[in-house]
Amino acid sequence: MKYQISHKTWYEYSELAPVCHNLVHLAPRETASQKCNAYRLLIDPKPAFFTGREDYFGNHTEYFSIESGHRKLEIIAESTVDVSNLDDSMVSDVPWQDCVVHSGDQVNGHPVGAAIDPTHAQLAFPSPRIPPLVELREYASKSFLPNRSIVQALVDLNVRIHHEFKFDPRATTVDTPLWEVLNLRRGVCQDFAHLATGCLRSMGLAARYVSGYLRTTPPPGKPRLVGADASHAWCSAWCGPLGWVDFDPTNNCLAGDSYVTIAWGRDYGDVCPIQGVFVGGGDHRITVSVDVAPLG
Amino acid sequence: MCELQNGGIISSVRTRVPATDTSLDAELLRGYELAPGAYDEVFSAPGVLRPAWKLFLKGAEKLTRTEYMHRWEQAQRLLRQNSLTYSDLSDSVARRRPWELDGLPLVISAEEWRTVSASLQQRATLLDLVLRDVFGPQRLVRDGVLPPEALFRHPGYRLPFCRPPESQNSRMLQFYAADLTRAPDGRWWVQADRCESASGAGFALENRIALSRMLSDVFRQCRVERLAPYFIAVKELLAKLAPHNDGDPRIVILSQAAGSTNYFEDAFLARYLGYTLAEAGDLAVRRNRLYLKTLAGLSLVNVLLRRPNSEHLDPLEIADSGSAGTAGLLQAVRSGNVTIANTPGSGLVESPIFRAFLPRLAEKILGEPLSMPGVATWWCGEPQACSYVLERLDELIILPAYRRRGEPVSQISRLADMSRKALAALIQTSPGNFVAQEKIVRSGAPAWSGTQLQPCYVALRTFAAAHGDGYTVMPGGLARISTSTAPLELSLLDGERSKDAWVLAEGPVEHVSLLTASEGDLPLRRGGVDLSSRAAEHFFWLGRQSVRAEALAKLIRSAARRLTSEEQVDRIPELPHLLRMLAEQGQIEPGYVVEEIRKQLPSIEKQLPTAAFDEGPPNALRATVTSLVSLASTVRDLMSLDSWRIIRQMNDDFRPAAGRHGFLDLLDKIDALLVQLAAYAGEISESMTRTYAWRFLDLGRRLERALQEAQLLRGMLSTDSGSEPESLETMLEMLDSVMTYRSRYGSRFQLGAVLDLMLCDETNPRSVAYQLVECVAHVDHLNVGVQGDHKPADQGLAGSLLQTVRETDVVRISRQFEAGDSDALNDLLNTIGNMLPDLSDVISHRYFFHSAPIQRLADIESKPGARK
Repeated sequence: MKYQISHKTWYEYSELAPVCHNLVHLAPRETASQKCNAYRLLIDPKPAFFTGREDYFGNHTEYFSIESGHRKLEIIAESTVDVSNLDDSMVSDVPWQDCVVHSGDQVNGHPVGAAIDPTHAQLAFPSPRIPPLVELREYASKSFLPNRSIVQALVDLNVRIHHEFKFDPRATTVDTPLWEVLNLRRGVCQDFAHLATGCLRSMGLAARYVSGYLRTTPPPGKPRLVGADASHAWCSAWCGPLGWVDFDPTNNCLAGDSYVTIAWGRDYGDVCPIQGVFVGGGDHRITVSVDVAPLG
Repeated sequence: MCELQNGGIISSVRTRVPATDTSLDAELLRGYELAPGAYDEVFSAPGVLRPAWKLFLKGAEKLTRTEYMHRWEQAQRLLRQNSLTYSDLSDSVARRRPWELDGLPLVISAEEWRTVSASLQQRATLLDLVLRDVFGPQRLVRDGVLPPEALFRHPGYRLPFCRPPESQNSRMLQFYAADLTRAPDGRWWVQADRCESASGAGFALENRIALSRMLSDVFRQCRVERLAPYFIAVKELLAKLAPHNDGDPRIVILSQAAGSTNYFEDAFLARYLGYTLAEAGDLAVRRNRLYLKTLAGLSLVNVLLRRPNSEHLDPLEIADSGSAGTAGLLQAVRSGNVTIANTPGSGLVESPIFRAFLPRLAEKILGEPLSMPGVATWWCGEPQACSYVLERLDELIILPAYRRRGEPVSQISRLADMSRKALAALIQTSPGNFVAQEKIVRSGAPAWSGTQLQPCYVALRTFAAAHGDGYTVMPGGLARISTSTAPLELSLLDGERSKDAWVLAEGPVEHVSLLTASEGDLPLRRGGVDLSSRAAEHFFWLGRQSVRAEALAKLIRSAARRLTSEEQVDRIPELPHLLRMLAEQGQIEPGYVVEEIRKQLPSIEKQLPTAAFDEGPPNALRATVTSLVSLASTVRDLMSLDSWRIIRQMNDDFRPAAGRHGFLDLLDKIDALLVQLAAYAGEISESMTRTYAWRFLDLGRRLERALQEAQLLRGMLSTDSGSEPESLETMLEMLDSVMTYRSRYGSRFQLGAVLDLMLCDETNPRSVAYQLVECVAHVDHLNVGVQGDHKPADQGLAGSLLQTVRETDVVRISRQFEAGDSDALNDLLNTIGNMLPDLSDVISHRYFFHSAPIQRLADIESKPGARK
C-alpha cells in the first residue's frame, strides 16, 4: 500500500515563549516491509537551528530550536510511504522458549562469556517506562504456556489485553505509570503497547515499542481502527527465526499494511513524536491532526 | 573470580609509642597509639619510624608541642576567615565544608608514589576505554566480557550519551579520582573509582595552602612535591579541549547549585584557575552553541568543566530527571560545538558493579593485570559469585550494584544494619542488584585532636587528569580520616577530617606558578560586562540586604538604648514611635504598641533580644544577616578576600553568647555588627573596581537606603507628636545626621529643617535625594548606548522619583503638618515608598535573566492513541 501522510501539530501559548527546543521523531523509518519515498518537515515560526541524525535504534530524529518570541508553534510532517503486507505463511511451530534472549527478572543473569547482540539484548531488559513488575510476569505467563509456539502465545496475549483492558482516553495520561494501568485495566494504545512489551520482556523475550500511524479510512467493508486520527503505538516481538513480528493489542490484530512505522525503541520515551521544552509561554494548548490517506 | 588477596594479620594489641625514638626527639608523636590491626603509616615497628616520617620529624625537630598547637590554631583561624570553601552557615548542613583539616600531613615516599601513580594511570586508561566502548560499539557486551545487565539495567546508561561512530575514538574520561586504602599488608588498594566529576581536588589544594603555610619550614626541608604542576596540566587539558580553538577559549565551571557540598570547592577552583563559575540557569543553548548569559548579552562557551551528574545536563534529552540542566546542551556537544569534561555518561563506570569486572576487563582490553588491585568485589548476578557471597556474608560489605554519585548513603547503611538472614533473602530475590566487597582495615595514622594525638584510619583520594595519550597524576591528594574502621562511603560527611598528603620528591623541587606571562600584548579589558546576570542579581540583593541590616540594627539600637536609660519609660515621647516601627518591621509583636496589651506580654527587655537573634522569621535582624551572608557566598569568587572576611566575621559574631539574651549583650553585638557593616561599606567604596558588580551592589544599597529612610520618616511622623524635638532628634540619630544638623541649626529642632536635611539635601550622603541622585547615575550608566524614542522604564522611574523629591516644598508641607494637616507629607512619603519597590522590580526585569522554570510540550492530547 502507498500512503500520503500528514501529521499536523499546533501549540498555542497564553504568553510569549522566547525560546523552545524540540526533538522530534516524525519521519517514517525504513523497515523490511516499508519504504519512505518522501518526507518533509514544515515548522512555523522558522527555526533558528535545525539538524537531523539517526538515533541509537536507527530512527531518524530531528532537533530544532526557535529563538524568537512566539505564541504559537506549528509542526507539519508530510511523507509518502510504501508498505507491503505481512507474509501470511509464517512458520508457527517455534516454541517461545527458543526465542528467549535473556533469562528474565527473577533468575540469575545472562552467563558472562556468552556472546550477545547488545542492540537486541537491551530490548529484553526493563526500561524507564517499563519497569520490572512481578505483575507483568504473572499476567504474561498465562499466555506463555510451556512449549506453546511463539506466534500462538503472542496472539493469545494480544487477545487477552484487548479483552481484559478497556480503551479509555480519560483513564490515563502520558505519564501514567504501568503499574497503574495494570490496576485500572484501562488505558490507550500507548499503555497497551507498554503493557505488551513489558509482558514479553518479563518472559525474557526482546520486545520493542513501535510508534507510527494507522490508515485513516479503513479498506472497503472493514471497520475503522481505533487510534486512526492520531499517532498510534503498538508492540514488536522478536520471534527467533521469524524475525520481528508486530502486533497491536489495541485493535487485537497483527500489524499489516494498514500500519505505518515511524520509529521504535525501548518505550515511548525513546521515540516520543514531539518532545520539547520551552521557557515562559504560560499555559499551552495542543491540537493534533493526522491523515493517512491511501494513494491509488 | 577475584581471589582474596588481603592477608593482613589482625592483632588487637595496642602499642604505645615510647617517648623517644632512637635517633630523634619524637615529642610531636608522644602518646600516639598505633591503630590495632592496621598498617601504621608512621611506624614500621614500635619505636621505629618509617623513612619518610623520619624526614618529616627531622624537619619538625625544632617544633615544640606548644608551638605546633599555636600554629595549628592560627591555621584553623586563617582557614575559617579566608577560606572560600569553609562555611558554617547554620541554616544548611550541606553548605558546610565537608572535611576539616588535620594538622599533621600524610607523608608518602617518592618510591612508593611512583607505583601508585603508575597504577592510577593504568586504571584511568582502562576506565576510559571501557566508557568509550559502552557508549560506542558495545563490543564488551557483544563478546560476553561484560554482562548486559551492567549496562542495560544501569540507571546511568542513557541512550543520549551514546556517541556517533565519528566521535567514538575520543576520550570520555578527562578527570579521574580514586579512593585508595592501604591494607594491613602495606599495599594500596582501590576502594572506589570516581568518574562522574572527580571532585575534591580543590579541597586538596586548599588543604595544601593552609598546611604548607603552617609548616612552611618543615615543608621546604622535606622537599615536598608541589601541586601547581598538576593544575597547570589541568589548565592545558581544558584549553586543548576547546573546539574551534582560537587561542582564547572560554572555560566555565558548571557547578551544582549554591548550597551543594561542592559549591565552595568549585568557587575556589574557579578563582584559582581563572575560570567563570556558572550554574545551569546561567547557560543557554542558541543556534546549537553554548552561551553564558551575561549583562552584555550572550557570551560563547567552549569548554564546560562539569560537576552535576550527567543525567542533569539536558532536560530536553533526559526528560525524566526534572528540569535541571540546559536544554539543547547534548546536541551542541554531539555537534562538536562545546566540549564537556567529563563527557556525559562518564559516571556509569564508577558504580560498584564495574569493580567486579575490572580485573577481567584489564586482561581483555589492556592485555595485562591491574597493577594496583581493587578491593575484591563480587557481583551477585553471577551464580557462582552469589553462592560464594552468601556463604561469607559476615566478612563482606554488601553494596547496591548500580549506586551512583550523589545518592544517599542511607541505602548502604540499611544494608549494613540488616540481619544476616534478611540480607541473604534480599540478595536472593534480586541478586543482580548487589555486589559484595571485602572489608579492609584501613591504615592508621596519628591525627591532631587539638591537644593530643589520636589514631585514625586513612583513605586517600587521588586525582588524575588526561594528558597527552595518558594521564598525569596529582602528586598528593585528599586524605580523609575517621576514627571508625567503616568504609568511608558510610560516613562521608559525618565528623570526618582530612589531611594534606605530602609526596616527597626525589630531587630538588621546582617552583612553578599558575600565573603565566603571556607573549605579546594583552588586549586591555575594562568594565567586566561579562558578569553573569545571576551574579549581578545577587550583588543587587547583597547591597539591599546589607543596608537593610544596618537600618534594622540602628532601629533596634535606638529603642534598646531608650529602654535601658534612666528615664521612666513612659516619659520618653519618641519611644512609642520606635516600638511601632519595630512592630511594622516585624521585629516585635504588634501588641507592644498598645499599652494595655503590652502589660500582658513578656517584658520587651526579654522579647527584643530574642527576636533580634531569631533565625526563623525572614524579617528578623539575624535572618537578614544570614541572608546577606548567603548572598555574599554565592558571589564570593568575585569578592575581595577582605570583604569576605568581614562578612564571615559578621556571621560568626552576631549570635547571642551562650545563655545571654540580655539587653546589654544585644547592644554590644549590635554595635559590633554596625562597625562590621561600616567596614564592609568602606571596602566597597574604597577597594571595589567600578565594574558592573559594583554598580549593581551600590544600586541595591542606594535603593534600599532611600526606602528605609522613607519608611523611617513615615513611621516617626505618623502622629502629631512626630514633630516634637525628641522625635526629630531620634530620626536624625538613626540617619547619622545629628552632627550636621547641630552645626547648622544648633539645638533648635524644627520639622522643616529636619526634612530638608533628610529628604532634599543632595549634599547629605544620608538624604533620600542623595540616594536618588546616585540611582539615576547608575541607571543612566546602565543605559548608555540604548537607543529608541522612549526612555527605558528604569531610567524613567528613577528620574521621576528624583524629580518628585526635588519639587517638594519642605517648608510648606512642614507648616501644614504642624498645623494638623498631614496629607501632603503623607502623600509624598507614600509616593516615594511605593515607587522605590517598583524601581527595584523594573531593574530586576530588565537586567536579570529570570531563568523561568522550563515547561514541557506534553499534553494528554499528544498521547498516542488518546483520541478515538
